Amino acid sequence: MGVTCVSQMPVAEGKSVQQTVELLTRKLEMLGAEKQGTFCVDCETYHTAASTLGSQGQAGKLMYVLHNSEYPLSCFALFENGPWLIADTNFDVLMVKLKGFFQSAKASKIETRGTRYQYCDFLVKVGTVTMGPSARGISVEVEYGPCVVASDCWSLLLEFLQSFLGSHTPGAPSVFGNRHDAVYGPADTMIQYMELFNKIRKQQQVPVAGIR
Amino acid sequence: MSQNLARLAQRIDFSQGSGSEEEEAAGAEGDAQDWAGAGSSADQDDEEGLVKFQPSLWPWDSVRNNLRSALTEMCVLYDVLSIVRDKKFMTLDPVSQDALPPKQNPQTLQLISKKKSLAGAAQILLKGAERLTKSVTENQENKLQRDFNSELLRLRQHWKLRKVGDKILGDLSYRSAGSLFPHHGTFEVIKNTDIDLDKKIPEDYCPLDVQIPSDLEGSAYIKVSIQKQAPDIGDLGTVNLFKRPLPKSKPGSPHWQTKLEAAQNVLLCKEIFAQLSREAVQIKSQIPHIVVKNQIISQPFPSLQLLISLCHSSNDKKSQKSATEKQSPEDHLYVLEHNLHLLIREFHKQTLSSIMMPHPASAPFGHKRMRLSGPQAFDKNEINSLQSSEGLLEKIIKQAKHIFLRSRTAATIDSLASRIEDPQIQAHWSNINDVYESSVKVLITSQGYEQICKSIQLQLNIGVEQIRVVHRDGRVITLSHQEQELQDFLLSQMSQHQVHAVQQLAKVMGWQVLSFSNHVGLGPIESIGNASAITVASPSGDYAISVRNGPESGSKIMVQFPRNQCKDLPKSDVLQDSKWNHLRGPFREVQWNKMEGRNFVYKMELLMSALSPCLL
Repeated sequence: MGVTCVSQMPVAEGKSVQQTVELLTRKLEMLGAEKQGTFCVDCETYHTAASTLGSQGQAGKLMYVLHNSEYPLSCFALFENGPWLIADTNFDVLMVKLKGFFQSAKASKIETRGTRYQYCDFLVKVGTVTMGPSARGISVEVEYGPCVVASDCWSLLLEFLQSFLGSHTPGAPSVFGNRHDAVYGPADTMIQYMELFNKIRKQQQVPVAGIR
Repeated sequence: MSQNLARLAQRIDFSQGSGSEEEEAAGAEGDAQDWAGAGSSADQDDEEGLVKFQPSLWPWDSVRNNLRSALTEMCVLYDVLSIVRDKKFMTLDPVSQDALPPKQNPQTLQLISKKKSLAGAAQILLKGAERLTKSVTENQENKLQRDFNSELLRLRQHWKLRKVGDKILGDLSYRSAGSLFPHHGTFEVIKNTDIDLDKKIPEDYCPLDVQIPSDLEGSAYIKVSIQKQAPDIGDLGTVNLFKRPLPKSKPGSPHWQTKLEAAQNVLLCKEIFAQLSREAVQIKSQIPHIVVKNQIISQPFPSLQLLISLCHSSNDKKSQKSATEKQSPEDHLYVLEHNLHLLIREFHKQTLSSIMMPHPASAPFGHKRMRLSGPQAFDKNEINSLQSSEGLLEKIIKQAKHIFLRSRTAATIDSLASRIEDPQIQAHWSNINDVYESSVKVLITSQGYEQICKSIQLQLNIGVEQIRVVHRDGRVITLSHQEQELQDFLLSQMSQHQVHAVQQLAKVMGWQVLSFSNHVGLGPIESIGNASAITVASPSGDYAISVRNGPESGSKIMVQFPRNQCKDLPKSDVLQDSKWNHLRGPFREVQWNKMEGRNFVYKMELLMSALSPCLL
């Protein structure tokens, strides 16, 4: 598990999501990356049920359950700005049992699927973010395997991102935030994905026009 | 008159004394009868009045009652007396007055009572004893004729049985020991009713018979063999049905035990073969394994074939006739067959072991690290490294390769040892080996000079595909499975040994080593290894011996003489002084094969001693 940066690639002007993805992958292949299969990251949302809210009328917390094909036997559960949990795949079954406390919002299931490229120590994943049948955006994930401390390799990552993303290079992810010297873990990647999905969910209107 | 009589009658008390009672009863009887008629009518009218005015209105009522009760009693007495007089149903027995004195009375009574009780107890015991003797004699009679239930009890001690409907079924599979083979392995227990009670019961009669599934009949074993020459393609598919004699069952064990054990063995062999063939098909290797009917053919080394076959012979008479082929005993690798059985049992144990049982109990089954791979977010590489990669077939092939390599190494060393007498080669095999690794220490020595010339000692570690040689001087050489490589290497080491021996000998003899080289670059090129050479000078400096030894070219020995001993030297003007004639000059070759001596070092010693004159 190395330091990972997850960012969104905005759809090119006048092109569809698929075409932009193709552009990116061609750039990567020209760089010399080799295709190594596919990947999938999906996210389901749950809100705490009304019955547990009490009389204070506070808004229910949202819980996100994510799966990543990179960690096939694990399940990630996150609260926004809150605690997170890594569990094995029985967690999904547990969520079904906890129907009374956590209600799933089926409509907001979001996932990203795409190809996985290996370029020496870098692992690049370019995926199409879809919500239901419609493609909403493009996610780009770059992982630098050898390093686990964010502050040590952020500049290297940035340089690599610039080489194929060009002007769309993101800034430092918020998970790096204050804990620059802490060891990076898979949960941080999932937090980044969660933030990406939330951002994409909010920008609902714009990409729809782009598809046509 | 009546009033007076009434008064008097009231005064009469009928309960006093017997005598007066009888008199009054007799008198009153008569009066009562007279008055009965007169008083009966008055009775009904005055009943109520009697209750109220008992003493006054009808004074004869109490008299009448009393008289009546007296009459009843008299009648009873009369009846009793009449019955007693008959002496049929009742007798009067006088109380004997002449009883024994009170002291002796209880003891005798006790004695009598004890005697009676003991007799009663004895009676019960005797009855019981009678019953027991009867049953014992019955058992002895029925010993030969064993009961179905007792036999069933014996069967239950060895095998698992359960009752389904009205059938008794048993389980002879290894499922409870951890096997995952889908064969049901159930046998049925049936009652043996074909017995003719009139004829004598045969010795081995058993009231119980087991019916095993038809595909488990007969006996089976797995045959592993290594063949050097590849058979023709047409030979593939020949079904080997060598019938090995049945393993002797323990004497005294009932026939169903042997039958069930044989069936269980067949099931285990089938499971082993199924596992092997499944892996042979699934695993990708450079040279694919061939699975034909009941044989698996794989090539661990080129020109070497490993055959694993399942030999299952049923007990029909037909196959017994055909299986007259003699099997060569060297062909059969019993060790590997035993190992196959051990490996499958190990696999069974793994499915049941506590490593698999999860703590906490709610976690899923599997290896402990696999359970942790979820919560610790292992990626694909880490998960792959956790899972055991080798299957049964791979393990057996590795073991077969090792066995083959080891036997070939031993054969090579032995052939060299028998072929070459000088120097001698010794092999010390280590007792403790692994399935995949063995080791042998090879020493090259000269006879008679073992203490001096012991510089060539090789440790050979024979692995699965390679032999690793560790030299005494620290060099590590890896040889492949080709036997030619090992042979060439040993030959080169032997030639080096000769030169090393001269070096050691020189030290002992006091000669000085002038030059020494393990791999000379001069002279003809050897095809195996390199030639080595040494030059030694005598203590006085007069003579020098130069030795060149190569694995192919053999040994060449030259002796350098001082100039004044050589006659055919051209005189030259360069040497002004005669002292220069004492230096060593030309070389002359020694005819080594004509030298006396058992071996090279001995000859060399003789030569050295001949060239160093003893100062008397």
